[in-house]
Amino acid sequence: MIVAIMLLVIVIGSLVFNFLSPWWFTEIASNWGGIDFAVFVTFWICGVAFVLIGLFMVYTTWKYRRREGLTAVYEPENKRLEWILTIVTTIGVVGMLAPGLWVWDAYVNVPPQARDVEIVGQQWSWSYRLPGEDGYLGAVDARRISVDNPFGMDPDDPRGQDDVLIERAALHLPIDRPVKVLLRSKDVLHDFYVPEFRAKMDAVPGMITYMWFTPTRVGTYEVLCAELCGIGHHTMRGTVVVDTAEDYDAWLKTQATFAQISARPEGDPVAGQIAYAVCAACHGPAGEGMLAFNAPKLSGQDPWYLRHQILAYRQGLRGVHEQDTYGKEMAPMVLPLIDDAAVENVIAYIGTLPDDPAPQTVEGDIHRGASLYGGCTVCHGSEGGGSYGTFAPRVAGMTDWYLVRQLRNFREGIRGSHRMDNLGKQMGLMSRQLGDDEAINDVVAYINTMSTRMTRTAMHHTIDDRGETDGG
Amino acid sequence: MAVEAQVPYQEAIDVHHPHSWLARYWFSQDHKVIAIQYGITAIGVGLVALVLSGMMRLQLGFPDSFDFIDPEAYYQFITMHGMIMVIYLLTALLLGGFGNYLVPLMCGARDMVFPFVNMISYHVYFVSVLILLASYFVPGGPTGAGWTLYPPQAILTGTPGVDWGILTMLVSLAVFIVAFTMGGLNYVTTILQARTRGMSLMRMPLSIWGIFMATVLGLLAFPALFVSAVMMILDKTIGTSFFMPAISSLGEQLDYSGGSPLLFQHLFWFFGHPEVYIVALPAFGIVSDLISTHARKNIFGYRMMVWAIVAIGVLSFIVWAHHMYVSGMHPYFGFFFATTTLIIAVPTAIKVYNWTLTLLRANIHMTVPMLFSIAFVITFVVGGLTGLFLGNVIVDVPLSDTYFVVAHFHMVMGVSPILVIFGAIYHWYPKMTGKMLDDRIGQLHFWITFLGTYAIYYPMHYLGFVGVPRRYFANGEMAIIDESVILLNQGITIAALIVGVAQILFIWNLIYSYYRGRDSGPNPWKATTLEWQTPETPPRHGNWESRLPTVYRWAYDYSVPGAKDDFIPQSEPSAGEREGAPLA
Amino acid sequence: MAEATSTQRLQLVEDWAADVAVFRGVPWGKAMMWIFLLSDTFIFSCFLTSYMTVRMTSAEAWPNPSEVFALEAFGVPVPLLLIAIMTFILISSSGTMAMAVNMGYRRKRVGAALLMVVTALFGASFVGMQAFEWYKLIVEEGVRPWGNPMGAAQFGSCFFMITGFHGLHVSAGVVYLLIVAYRVWRGRYEEKGYDIVEITGLYWHFVDLVWVFIFAFFYLW
Repeated sequence: MIVAIMLLVIVIGSLVFNFLSPWWFTEIASNWGGIDFAVFVTFWICGVAFVLIGLFMVYTTWKYRRREGLTAVYEPENKRLEWILTIVTTIGVVGMLAPGLWVWDAYVNVPPQARDVEIVGQQWSWSYRLPGEDGYLGAVDARRISVDNPFGMDPDDPRGQDDVLIERAALHLPIDRPVKVLLRSKDVLHDFYVPEFRAKMDAVPGMITYMWFTPTRVGTYEVLCAELCGIGHHTMRGTVVVDTAEDYDAWLKTQATFAQISARPEGDPVAGQIAYAVCAACHGPAGEGMLAFNAPKLSGQDPWYLRHQILAYRQGLRGVHEQDTYGKEMAPMVLPLIDDAAVENVIAYIGTLPDDPAPQTVEGDIHRGASLYGGCTVCHGSEGGGSYGTFAPRVAGMTDWYLVRQLRNFREGIRGSHRMDNLGKQMGLMSRQLGDDEAINDVVAYINTMSTRMTRTAMHHTIDDRGETDGG
Repeated sequence: MAVEAQVPYQEAIDVHHPHSWLARYWFSQDHKVIAIQYGITAIGVGLVALVLSGMMRLQLGFPDSFDFIDPEAYYQFITMHGMIMVIYLLTALLLGGFGNYLVPLMCGARDMVFPFVNMISYHVYFVSVLILLASYFVPGGPTGAGWTLYPPQAILTGTPGVDWGILTMLVSLAVFIVAFTMGGLNYVTTILQARTRGMSLMRMPLSIWGIFMATVLGLLAFPALFVSAVMMILDKTIGTSFFMPAISSLGEQLDYSGGSPLLFQHLFWFFGHPEVYIVALPAFGIVSDLISTHARKNIFGYRMMVWAIVAIGVLSFIVWAHHMYVSGMHPYFGFFFATTTLIIAVPTAIKVYNWTLTLLRANIHMTVPMLFSIAFVITFVVGGLTGLFLGNVIVDVPLSDTYFVVAHFHMVMGVSPILVIFGAIYHWYPKMTGKMLDDRIGQLHFWITFLGTYAIYYPMHYLGFVGVPRRYFANGEMAIIDESVILLNQGITIAALIVGVAQILFIWNLIYSYYRGRDSGPNPWKATTLEWQTPETPPRHGNWESRLPTVYRWAYDYSVPGAKDDFIPQSEPSAGEREGAPLA
Repeated sequence: MAEATSTQRLQLVEDWAADVAVFRGVPWGKAMMWIFLLSDTFIFSCFLTSYMTVRMTSAEAWPNPSEVFALEAFGVPVPLLLIAIMTFILISSSGTMAMAVNMGYRRKRVGAALLMVVTALFGASFVGMQAFEWYKLIVEEGVRPWGNPMGAAQFGSCFFMITGFHGLHVSAGVVYLLIVAYRVWRGRYEEKGYDIVEITGLYWHFVDLVWVFIFAFFYLW
């Protein structure tokens, strides 16, 4: 008897859970209402089947439980009943399959007016490429991918010159215009997944996959990776912004094309030296960093990282959290760098400064730190030299008290809290491994041991160097 | 060819009569001992996987609370948990364990056709388990590539265990396949060629049908895994490029070129989908026998049940790419594979109807095996129906790689077969040991396991509807996640820990009852099938007396009108007018 | 006519549903070998299907087999010369194997054993020539599993993997043949009967058959 009651509880409980559940699909933001409809049909057909079978079992386990004088009926088969059930099931299956395939047909056939957008996945970030005015994406080759050419563009292909390259930043899409998404991957499998769009597709190295959708709701959406891609899988986030047509055009104008990026002049250290005068007040004349002013060492830091941080301050992605006292101090300081050229100049000047290891101020358990650092190795390198491939800055030989403070900020969500700052969010997720301040001290103490081992070549471990050493 | 002609009874007993402990329990060629060896090893390694799942749940429910779980460890947990549960526990226990135990007994044979090969099969399996567990002791630990081991990720930096773990995993799988092949050839040949007189295929108990079809699937599906394992080992060790295109990994250009990651996925799922049925079909078969026996009623629609098993087995080879709807394969495959996948739902649904219809107008004895069987049906209904979501190509798109998938496959091929295994152990333990398992501990174990697993996996589907992606070490701040989702995850973790700890009851019951259990007698459940009619309990080596039993009827003569008892054993001659089974 | 087919069909159903044995009169070992070969067929099918997929999707040019596998004979490169000889040898060995089976059933055990040894020698010479072919490819033509000077890297990987796997089958077969031949010669099967020779033969013919497919897909495509 208790069995029948429990089965009834399960059936009713499941129904109650379903109707009270706050957990359901997010509000849709694309044209794929058809997918929701197919889910709806499947859900109800299956739901009815579940309830009917469940209640039938409640009935049988109740009515035919062992009792005095009850004997089972000998009934090997009942052809008619079996056929009826087969036919009813078949009807149910067709009822689910038909709308499903109908929507799938729409899903795989891209409307001709759809515009191409390329999405490039890599461990562990998303980049994008738009075809530019000619409407064509230029040729790319995985073999050309390097620090200077992260998309692997073919410089000789005229169609690629006007391609808009958006590296590790937000993708904007205009509302109500269908896009054909072309996906590729530099390294392993990824999957471009925006829950609100419903659509989803793997990015596979060595081939180009596609899907299409039409954004239908203005807003900012989070991109997730839905195919296991290594230890940073859960940190591989991105942002898609759906704009009105006017906003989209305004945004597009600010984006650089491949030709513009290639033609960008190298920074002028002489001009940079003048601009650096402002920085020197806190960061020191030789960029060595000063604890008294809470300013970290700049010399020896990777130029792409400096550029990214200056831009993050300028765009309001960093230095905006109310508890980030020093970040807020820094934010206005980048304003004198009025354009990209000024930024390049100052970075070029920092590149000329002597790179002496910063003094060591943090103490901790080096052995524990070494084991904690295990998780950092993949991105920051076993010698802490940083890597452009994972967009991880150099940490060895830099100001250790600054690392401690930033790790704490990351962990507590003070840094990397801006919803568009996906790289900051990434570090935030990883830093939570360091459970307490002691762990942070330990790991930084271990990093300090690297700076003594460090050599100049290890620091500037560029892709070209590695290619040679590994290929040879 | 008569059985006696091939293994003369006296010779079989004299030659193989074991004396020392080692010969009796380790180098035994008795299928029953080998079955128990398989069973104990599989349950042992399964407990390891259970602990791993507990740690995963701790991390998911309470992220950032446990120092020893970092992303690396977490991905190692999920990989080892998945692989152990699917291959080393479920496949090994259902086929190596129950297959070995039941096939000769239920078919009325003295042993497997090649007992020596059978013994070697277990030893090779044991080696594969050792290699697998060695993963935890090699530099870098086990692989964290997920149980699907998708390249390029599985063999590139950025994935845990990329130096040694992936190799021990692949080698262990290859060794397992060798073990499985040796065992599987035995099961199939025994079922085809060594049944006793009167045991026609259409009189075989459904357990044997399920095991038979599953073994055939295994023999034809494992080759694909073997081949993909060989190719991946070559990619990893000597730098071939079967699955590896040109890659720039973590900013570094690699030497690979021209390979296809999708090729691996096709090979893997050509194995992987039949693998689902390798686990499910024996469970289907066994549960049919449990339901019929404990409901004291013949299984409803036996003939349909047999054909459904065969149809599911055949169809399972043409549905594999439904695991790959969003993998980037040619989208037109979606039409074909969605259709075949939903067709497979029809024979599966028929099986469910027939189980429930067997309960109709029955005389249901609520024994522990029956409880597990009923729990299986309801769990399988949920798991099967959610399979229709994922099989229906467009519905799969928003749900693939979310927790909906995790909930679905745990319901359908995790919890369901495990419930059957529990039921089967409660059912056949008396035959294996001559003792009954303790009923009260059994009831307690059942209710915690059944309600607990339902509480874990039913709500988990809703995480999938929300869109929470699977295989995330931590969700962190995610736009689609609010407080309620975090709460739900905590609830699931608590349920999972309770269920995990409750399994101690089961282990305790196995050990306690072995020494203190009630004597069972030869046929405590009053069952019809041959294994309950052996002259001794537990059956001796050679199973039968000098003559093999003769079968006169199908396996489901329960509550036959006019019969003396409510069951008639298969080996009991009929009075005359009911010669043979109605279906023979 | 219609009746005849329906009784035939019934016969099939009855055979399969028969009690005791589905395949009447087939010894256990033989049934098991057939099932094993079915499983092994799937292994080779997977290998060959993978090879075909890799070859068809390869972006780089595939080396021309008639040039790669050519052998100098009297100063003239003859395409596929070595392979032709190897194939001929292997097919001949199937012939001697069939004769051995025949001898076995006629209970001429010395003859059967001798023919099996001859088969094994054919097999061994096949493996030897394969070793020579590998040597030539690796040392003279610079083909490696991970690359080659002629084109797609997958050429070498597929070739070495599949011919290597087949070569392992042949080597195992040679050992298997020699063991069985020795036992046949010693008269071990006088009582049990000579089914074992046929079972060994099944395996050997299977290995030959697989070679035909490998030959067709690798050397002629």
